[in-house]
Amino acid sequence: MATSAYPPPPPYYRLYKDYEQDPSSAPEPPPPIDGNYKVFGVEREINEVLPSLESRQLYPKGPNIDFKKQLRTLNRELQLHILELADILVERPSQYARRVEDISLIFQNLNHLLKSLRPHQARATLIHMLESQIQRRKQAIEDIKQRREEAQKLLGESLLVLDGSQTN
Amino acid sequence: MDIITQLQEQLSDMAMVAVNTFGPLQRDAPPDRLSSSYPDPLNPNPKPEEDAKPQAPAQPGAAPAPAPAPPPALPPQPPALDLAEHPKAMSHALVLAAKRFDALVAALPLSSEEDQLKRIQELQAENEVVGLELQKQLEAAELELKQVEALFNEATDNCINLKKPD
Repeated sequence: MATSAYPPPPPYYRLYKDYEQDPSSAPEPPPPIDGNYKVFGVEREINEVLPSLESRQLYPKGPNIDFKKQLRTLNRELQLHILELADILVERPSQYARRVEDISLIFQNLNHLLKSLRPHQARATLIHMLESQIQRRKQAIEDIKQRREEAQKLLGESLLVLDGSQTN
Repeated sequence: MDIITQLQEQLSDMAMVAVNTFGPLQRDAPPDRLSSSYPDPLNPNPKPEEDAKPQAPAQPGAAPAPAPAPPPALPPQPPALDLAEHPKAMSHALVLAAKRFDALVAALPLSSEEDQLKRIQELQAENEVVGLELQKQLEAAELELKQVEALFNEATDNCINLKKPD
């Protein structure tokens, strides 16, 4: 793999020399990757799953998590813990470590919740894309119908004109 | 920006406010008095002030009495203000950030996974139907286009043929 700090560009650019004149002379784009792939020396998978929090999870596990309620509860807990930290720093300053750990745990949980909302967002984006595609297709159908009707009308009118000029 | 990214940004804002609350407080905190046997670091020369204090209420119009009091008081004043204002401003910011987070959470358009999957299947079926309809219309329109082109060619041929005897 590339070991220099500024590796040269990959040499395939020479294959596209005659792309302007003959697009088929250049190779096809590579197919989508299946399995694991390497990026900057790090191996990654295609279907990346969010690793679970295991023992550090604060909100209840289960199939249906009420995200809004849990997010709000964790937010309140966070505020409380920050206040507790302020208190501890005034009264028993040497015991700050536990409180700081608790606060970072709450942050981890909040971030985990937000990340687990991403698949839902992906599905919602898909729904949106399908809806807009259906909308565009319906619009195209309407346009085609309208043009066809206009063409038929013009043909009919021109036939009338021709018939009229013939009988005259 | 999508709402989940906004929520994540709001979270990091809250973390930053929390860090900025405690950091400057610890950094700028004035030294604390350890015991009454040591001099008070905040007030190293209490004697002239004590002499000035009983005089000031006795002679409110005396100009020299308040004169020693303001100069020692001036230098510590700017940090003292910051130290009082800073936690208030920071806690205000923290509460605001928490409220924004709650507002964003309330604005989350959530629905269950089954609902989403059902909707996706409905939309896919509708997409198929609409796609077939579009295909049909397109083919009919292309057919009509060919017919019109043929008619047009015939008409122009006839026009050319009719114009011959000139």
